Amino acid sequence: MTRTDWKLTPSLTSPHMHHAVASRPDFLQRLFRHALIVGLCVPAFVLTPAAMAQDATSPHNATAQQPLAQPALMDAMSTELNRALAELGTATEPAVSSAAKVGEKIPAQKPYFLSYSVADAQSVTITSQYGAIMNSSETHERTADVQVRLGSPVEDNTHGSHRTSALTTMSLPLTDDRAAIERTLWYATNRGYGKALDALEKVKTEQQVRAREEDSSPDFTRERPQVDILPPQPPLDVDRSAWESRLREISGIFRQYPNIFYDTAVLQATHETNYFVSSDGTRVVAPKQVARLIVAARTRASDGMDMFRDETFEADSTGHLPDQAEVMAKTQAMAKGLNDLRTAPITEPYNGPAILSGRAAAVFFHEVLGHRLEGQRQRGDEEGETFTKLLGKAILPDFLSVADDPTLTQYNGYPLSGHYLFDDEGQPAQRVQLVQDGVLQTFLMSRLPIAGFANSNGHGRAETGKMPTGRQGNLIVTSTKAVSDAKLRQMLKEAARKQGKTYGLYFEDISSGFAVTTRRSPQAFQVIPLVVYRVYVDGRPDELVRGVSIVGTPQAALRSIVATDDQPQMFNGLCGAESGTIPVSAVAPAMLVSQIETQRQAQGTARPPIVPPPPLDEAVNPASSPNGGR
Amino acid sequence: MKLRALLLISLFGSFALAEVPQPSDPILTAMQQELAREKSDLVIPGMLRPYFIQYRLEDIHTYDAIASYGALTRESEGHQRVVRVEVRIGSETSDSSSARGDGSLELAPADGDPAALKYALWSATDDAYKNALRAYATKQATLKTFQSAPTANDFSPAKAVTLVEPLATLSIDRDDWKHRLIEASGLFATSPETRSFAEAVQYSSASISALVVNRYTVNTDGTMLRHGYSGYTEVVNIGGQANDGMNLARSNGSVATTAAGLESDAALKKRVIDDLISFNDLRHAPVVDAEDYHGPVLFSGDAAAEVFNRLFVPSVEADRPDIGTSARTQGAYQSSYKTPILPTFLSVVDDPTLRSFEGRALLGAYRVDDEGVPVEPVDIVVHGKLMNYLVGRQPVKDFPESNGHGRAALGQSAHSRAGVVIIKSSEPLSAEALRAKLLALAKEQGRDVYSVETLGGELAPRMLYCVSPDGKRTLVRGAVFDELDQRAIRSGILAAGGKPYIAQQVATVPGTTIAPELLFADITVKRANEEQQKVPYYPPPALPKD
Repeated sequence: MTRTDWKLTPSLTSPHMHHAVASRPDFLQRLFRHALIVGLCVPAFVLTPAAMAQDATSPHNATAQQPLAQPALMDAMSTELNRALAELGTATEPAVSSAAKVGEKIPAQKPYFLSYSVADAQSVTITSQYGAIMNSSETHERTADVQVRLGSPVEDNTHGSHRTSALTTMSLPLTDDRAAIERTLWYATNRGYGKALDALEKVKTEQQVRAREEDSSPDFTRERPQVDILPPQPPLDVDRSAWESRLREISGIFRQYPNIFYDTAVLQATHETNYFVSSDGTRVVAPKQVARLIVAARTRASDGMDMFRDETFEADSTGHLPDQAEVMAKTQAMAKGLNDLRTAPITEPYNGPAILSGRAAAVFFHEVLGHRLEGQRQRGDEEGETFTKLLGKAILPDFLSVADDPTLTQYNGYPLSGHYLFDDEGQPAQRVQLVQDGVLQTFLMSRLPIAGFANSNGHGRAETGKMPTGRQGNLIVTSTKAVSDAKLRQMLKEAARKQGKTYGLYFEDISSGFAVTTRRSPQAFQVIPLVVYRVYVDGRPDELVRGVSIVGTPQAALRSIVATDDQPQMFNGLCGAESGTIPVSAVAPAMLVSQIETQRQAQGTARPPIVPPPPLDEAVNPASSPNGGR
Repeated sequence: MKLRALLLISLFGSFALAEVPQPSDPILTAMQQELAREKSDLVIPGMLRPYFIQYRLEDIHTYDAIASYGALTRESEGHQRVVRVEVRIGSETSDSSSARGDGSLELAPADGDPAALKYALWSATDDAYKNALRAYATKQATLKTFQSAPTANDFSPAKAVTLVEPLATLSIDRDDWKHRLIEASGLFATSPETRSFAEAVQYSSASISALVVNRYTVNTDGTMLRHGYSGYTEVVNIGGQANDGMNLARSNGSVATTAAGLESDAALKKRVIDDLISFNDLRHAPVVDAEDYHGPVLFSGDAAAEVFNRLFVPSVEADRPDIGTSARTQGAYQSSYKTPILPTFLSVVDDPTLRSFEGRALLGAYRVDDEGVPVEPVDIVVHGKLMNYLVGRQPVKDFPESNGHGRAALGQSAHSRAGVVIIKSSEPLSAEALRAKLLALAKEQGRDVYSVETLGGELAPRMLYCVSPDGKRTLVRGAVFDELDQRAIRSGILAAGGKPYIAQQVATVPGTTIAPELLFADITVKRANEEQQKVPYYPPPALPKD
């Protein structure tokens, strides 16, 4: 696990397909990734500035008070979990370990912890490009993550680099066939137990030969059992043909932009119910639902520089996504902005004051601060542990505070992606005050303890099929030194003038470094500006520039924040790291930074397309029909 | 379309295979329009123009369902269109191509929108052209570092062909098949014959997958193709462990060009029960002798087809040799032209024009390959001697022209691949005669011999019998073969049977291999030295009571 693993992207791949059917052409999946991830390579931060979803009520609130009868699936999981606990490790077997005498019978290991986590997910994904549907599909999967821990919470089979040895993932029957569900769980548990035994043996050996670890915390926290059986998600119902028409019309906008050589509009809607049962006595059934519409496009300047933009819309269901007129207007504006960027002048090296817009600041805090406050990054031989020793010390100016609050369903009426009820270790979501008045208070904790923190704070998150780690949910940055936008802009000009500059910079949109550096090596922490303006001190109109790249350590920028505005903005996006891709949000006000150093970004050398795009035959152009449908 | 076809004929001297005038296909029309535009406009000033461009659109329709332990765990259906663009720079003598194959892929509209299709082609063409320019420069520089020129040209000419076949469609009774899979995968627990050892069955699954591909191809030769294939595969997987921990499995299935061509419901059930019983037999079977055996082994047609698919077929498919070498092809037979590679009583033909054999439709059959070359039967081996390689448009020494075997896996460039390989003996023996011959050898040598029914994986025996001179057959487990190689099939085959076995595969390129039983004189059977896994740490859940 290295620090370079995380990224924030609009990953459009469906949850892991375990036991994938062999005949399914493998290259298609690769092609999809090519088209949608590398091709897109757009950080999908959904900034939702103006009118967005009108209503984002959480589906469970109404019924949360009345616990339901345990669903059949949950019942089968509990039964089989209890049977495994009763039977595993009861037999004795001949000793093979060098510790025991040959021939001596030693009792087998009993798991000290066992959990079954089942995700029942139904999804619809529709992909369009250039006014046509490329793919439209519906899936239903049930996947079980079985976690087996041997040894003791102090030291178990997950120690150090063996973290994934606890996990075995398998597809489950789609129907409530108890016998088949139980037998599948048995098969996975048996395999998982074997893996855990092997890993525990390795852990013990490694511990004997290595130097004492810096952080000698246990491997697993002790937590109180949680019991909450919420109603499972109703079946997903999406009007696919209506959405196909809408997507044709949205991506059809790019037919008006011959210089944009890649575009896509994708709808993803998922209804998921998570069933969790563990040997701690935790039993949780929690529903999740999301609808996401992503529009992305890419162009290339005549000098070979690639540029991209995206717009993402998010709601709890497709019915709550913004109406077509709004999506069309935003897509049109994005396409125009991208087209303008293509011919914008290239930046010059700069070292001076700058403003990060609320959206840019939110991304910046997610990447630069949020990821480094994940608990597991404070221990381990490979980790940078940037903030480990700074607990109780100022890491930000005293007017800034940062919390992560997954219990929030919305912010100013806009739905937050990072909301959840229980984390992926069955722990209830909690608001965590990470930084108070600039001073670091705590970390984002999963059930992996670190020095000084023996408990989870409900941030153990993972994609199905991955081991949970401390991750962000809704990262909220607040300020007590907030001024109006106009005043902040004024302060930027004054700061620039004082430093003898003719302009300051305004970062309207930025993305995580991973997205645009895939052709080269991924760069951890680096944030890549997408849309940057020069704000002239002499009152000339702002000027769009391209090719801006931030140099120096981003944390230095955190400490040189001098003021914020009073209009926090948010983004919703998908964040990828060791424990997989999960939905997150971040909210932050615009920030004035006294010193930021930029240079011209390294760029591609490929020419723009040689032949102009094929001429359009108006008769087949859906963008020209008033409603987009046919 | 008739007019267009005629026009192509008059311009390029092509011949059309479509017997009847075909209705105009809007996909082919859009592809031709974009091809014509790119052919005339695609050039970076001062650089080379492409001398060959080919567009291929693949319309891929899939259906998959899997059941495990008597319950459905997955059902999915997919429809996807992909375009692949191949651009060649240079000349047929030496061009930008590599042995791997070159081209660019883009997703194409699933809804057939012609503007978006042309856009995808445009984008892929731009990419392919730029890659080809780079590859050409690099390759020419590399060639200069070698003393001798390549042994063959990079590309062979082909006449323009027009072939528009009816579209293949995916047709399967989904509910019926789901029901069959659920039932089949649950038989271990429900059938009276197998219930007694159900606990030992650690996994039991059944799956169906259907793949239907329609391919649309146009190129600057003037060729226009619309053809496709369908493959339906049904597989059963059963497995567990012997008491000593040895992993044991039965895995088999049927492959056909239609869902109806797969095994019937009754036959499938019978096969699953047979598999379960033989799995249990394997669990109780003795482990093969610890000391190596070298001697006669009789291979069933099933096992023989697999031996030929691994040891023979890849080496007669002519792949371009490594750059800078003077070899003819890759593989075991690169210097075996007109020399014996099989016993004189065996001949091998590849005949993709054969649509069916003994009433079964053949997956490997086709009329025109994926490079636009019509196919004819090819005599690969005549009385033991290698007389022809299978060649696509990438020539090899002594074979300057394609014989219609340029075939492409999904999303890949064409390579030389077999279609319908038929291995035939001029002195076929009946099954009884072969068995008698095996027993005669056992008596003559005064020891037990072996007979293998099925193989699993890397030519490892799965159902292997030790046969005593008096004809008693004993199932054994834990064996592997050794010295089963090209030498064994060249000079170690004593006799062949007369009952052909039809082995078919859908991926990566659909193909058929038809082989008789083969009696080998000297194969090594030895004990596998695999780690034995632990037997289950705890028993599976009790089966529901009836």
